[in-house]
Amino acid sequence: MRTFTRRRMLKSVAAAAAGPLGFPFLNLAHAQGASVPIGVAVPLTGNAGPYGPDMAEAARRTAAKINNAGGILGGRRLELFIEDSESSAAVAANLTQKFINVHKCQSCVGYWGTPEGMSSRPIVVQNKVVLMVSSAANAITEGDTQGYVWRFQMKATDWGIVIGRAAAGMNFKTVGILGLQNAFVLPIMKVFEERMKGAGVQVVDSLVYNPEQPSYRAEVERVFGKKPDAVFCFGLLPDFVSIMREVHRGGFESKVVALSIMADAEGKFVQAVGPQVAEGIRHFQPMPDVSASGYRKFVQLMGAPPDRLFLFPPNTHDQVSITALAMERAKSPMAVDWSRQIITVGNGPGQEVDDVVEALKLVREGRAVNFQGAGSTCDFTPNGDQLGRGMGQWVIKGGKSVFVEYAKP
Amino acid sequence: MISFLVLLGIVVCFSAILALALNFQWGLGGMVNFGLAGFYTLGAYACALLILKGGANTFVATLGAMAIVAAASALVALVTLRVAEEDYFAIVTLGAGEMLRLAALNEDWLTKGALGLAGIPRPLGNVIPAELYSYFLLGLAVALLLGTLWVLNVLARSPFGRIVRAVREDDLVAATLGKDVLWARVRIFAIGGAFIGLAGALHAFYYQYIDPTQFTNIVIAYAFMAVIAGGRGAHRGTILGAAVVMVLLEGSRFLKDVIPALNADQLAAIRIIMIGVGLILLLIFRPQGFLREHRLRVDLGDAATIRR
Amino acid sequence: MLQTAFNGLITGVIMTLPALAVTLLFGVLKFPNFAVGAMMTAAAYLTFALNAQLGWPLALATCAAAVAFGGFCILIDALTFRPLRERGAITLMVASLGLGFILENIARFAYGNAARSFAVELARPFRILDIRMNREQLTTFAVSFLAMALMYLLLTRTPIGRAMRAVADNPQLALVRGIESPRIIRWTWFIAGLLLAVGGVLIGMDRALEPLMGSNYLVAVFAAAILGGLGSPLGAFVGAMLIGIVSELSTLVIPPNYRIGIPLVVIAVVLIFRPQGLFGQPYIRK
Repeated sequence: MRTFTRRRMLKSVAAAAAGPLGFPFLNLAHAQGASVPIGVAVPLTGNAGPYGPDMAEAARRTAAKINNAGGILGGRRLELFIEDSESSAAVAANLTQKFINVHKCQSCVGYWGTPEGMSSRPIVVQNKVVLMVSSAANAITEGDTQGYVWRFQMKATDWGIVIGRAAAGMNFKTVGILGLQNAFVLPIMKVFEERMKGAGVQVVDSLVYNPEQPSYRAEVERVFGKKPDAVFCFGLLPDFVSIMREVHRGGFESKVVALSIMADAEGKFVQAVGPQVAEGIRHFQPMPDVSASGYRKFVQLMGAPPDRLFLFPPNTHDQVSITALAMERAKSPMAVDWSRQIITVGNGPGQEVDDVVEALKLVREGRAVNFQGAGSTCDFTPNGDQLGRGMGQWVIKGGKSVFVEYAKP
Repeated sequence: MISFLVLLGIVVCFSAILALALNFQWGLGGMVNFGLAGFYTLGAYACALLILKGGANTFVATLGAMAIVAAASALVALVTLRVAEEDYFAIVTLGAGEMLRLAALNEDWLTKGALGLAGIPRPLGNVIPAELYSYFLLGLAVALLLGTLWVLNVLARSPFGRIVRAVREDDLVAATLGKDVLWARVRIFAIGGAFIGLAGALHAFYYQYIDPTQFTNIVIAYAFMAVIAGGRGAHRGTILGAAVVMVLLEGSRFLKDVIPALNADQLAAIRIIMIGVGLILLLIFRPQGFLREHRLRVDLGDAATIRR
Repeated sequence: MLQTAFNGLITGVIMTLPALAVTLLFGVLKFPNFAVGAMMTAAAYLTFALNAQLGWPLALATCAAAVAFGGFCILIDALTFRPLRERGAITLMVASLGLGFILENIARFAYGNAARSFAVELARPFRILDIRMNREQLTTFAVSFLAMALMYLLLTRTPIGRAMRAVADNPQLALVRGIESPRIIRWTWFIAGLLLAVGGVLIGMDRALEPLMGSNYLVAVFAAAILGGLGSPLGAFVGAMLIGIVSELSTLVIPPNYRIGIPLVVIAVVLIFRPQGLFGQPYIRK
């Protein structure tokens, strides 16, 4: 708890009385030109709130690591502006504007949720600034982004492909599908359903439900009542908790497969329903290749035990790193110059490097690099999607999630 | 820095138009629109869909959105003509608003559901260079706000406005004086609805991406606070109220710099608690707001002096 | 289909207690209270604190929380609604909206957004007459019916109850008869608080505990109270059961994600064509 100094007193008066007009007071310390500003918008509140803090911390540590090794572009320090996107499209759009217009950022990173990315996309394209997202919905990179939008996550349709293939391998004859009316679930559901049909599996029912309903009895009754071998659920934690309670109370026997953000959520799911209800549920989530050296170095950077699984923070580490590398390569902090260098430093061809400080040194020497990040190998397609990402599969046994396998689309 | 204030100004403008519309329907007309969020959603989606699916340009789409929301509001008012109690009416409007939001979320063949509508172009977006555009949009928003204010003021001081006030104060008396109460109510609601549609269109142009989660109940709370803070029936006061509410709410985001002991979720909860407390305190201590309704003065020859 | 109807019964029974609270509050205080959803949430979390955190058995925790919450409601009334009593229904409604925000976010502040459960074992079902049901649901039935029976006794046999009905029917006449309004109002809030607390616990047992749990039911509960007739306790019960059963049965013909539209339609239809609902009395305001 920091002490209440006069400086903080001034800040609080300015904030309370003048709101955004207090900006000039808060920014006195920002010396223009000596640092390279990067905007970081992550969800600290709202339904994606649990994921934001670690993402922010990863960005902080990555920037600190780079700065301690001398920064970029001749000694300039990276300066992060970390803000809460509140899992909201409107807030994220305002933040993106703020990053660009007030803090003069040329790179905006973070952006966990699809609505945040979608609302910020037109802003960055208009302002010729780079946007790096960690969201899945295909729509974010569709159309002409002029090379300014980059996705550090597995595309939604790829999720459907991987889960579909794994499901086909599980030998279910009949399946049901339950999906939340939500921007990233719907593309996954569609592709998954196609895959099931293509594999000759009968889909007994495919139902979309609304968030925040008083009860999900009717949905569970309809889909589970048809007694399929398995039901695939795509949604979020609160609705999944309700659905699984109904399933258990109704005595339905179908196997349940879900996404990790619903069935794990850092242990909150098992905490909410108890190990008995959760037993046997399988869940999927895009994850980094934990055997890769880039990921292992990242875990060390975060100061965590080596077996800790970070799903999203490695993406922010990569976002900050690629920004730094591309800027160094283009010898300019302006996105119009370095946005096209992202593919050059990420895909190569060049020397494979998994440490950003080493990579920066090589780039300064004029050498070609192929950066291998913490979340993935950081290889991109021309329209901004990432290649080579895989998904992890877990099953809940005895109240704990047990890792099964890692697969790619 | 200036650009950020410009953008905040634009948001204040269309929030103020929304508050003015509510003020017209409620403050002047005595008809509480608890379905505000739903009609606002309708306005934004109508505008976006007219452009994206109908191929209209932004000007026509804005007019279209205004017409559509006006029609929907008129329909709701017509259907509820018989509901005399103002709180029952409020509940029905709540129902209508919720149905509209439900439709926006679920009718994904039309609205793309939770995916939302992206890539909404802006008025004259191709003509005005990008660096100057936000200033243009601010100018446009201010012009539209002033236009709304002017129209609503003219209406308020016109014979129609007198009918509206009479209906609000005592519809039984108004009816005996031969004023067509029911028809007046439909018109009030429809006119307010048109401006809700305008606010919705501006919202769509500003964000260029709309999805159902943007239109929550907090929107209603903001609008009501603005109207109450500004004084029911007083148009200029409403704008002042909207500006004050917006600035306080955006400003309270900086609390997190000042109070590190609480996590972000808790700070967000506190902000909303403050909104609720603010609303209740306003109601208790300052129900007439900061500026009072313009009192109509009539010369001595006219017996009907209407006072609050 | 029988199973669906049974599921509807459960939903209806869960809605009965809050519908009763809404109708009581409206009958005596003359305005629709939009904070009831958040009140249920707050009371449920209070019970959670006693049950899951202090380790009290659920029944005891519920009783204690209910009494405490009843008292809390009296306090809320004194702070929020009493100063506004003369202002008319709309002002009170808007104030209740603000109150709802406050209570919901106090819960969110204390417990965050993640879903939680009471410390009770989830029961497996058994079958009677080809309908699946379980012990939890039977408990829900029993508790609700007991509460309704007590309410009935209260309103018909006790002086307080009769006084409440008198004030609801005709406040001026009640005053003439010497019935003291402020005391009645306090009792009304206390009883409403009890009902909302138990209702909140039932919802928490049925779905899960999360900050939105009560507000998810708000529209449906109002529809039930309005359908039954605002001010009529019997109406609240009948309305809740009807809405519950019809909503669940509707999923057989319309897509399930639209069934939350049914209470909305019911509200509109009732208020337009028969505002006094099934059992209420036509109430002349002016």
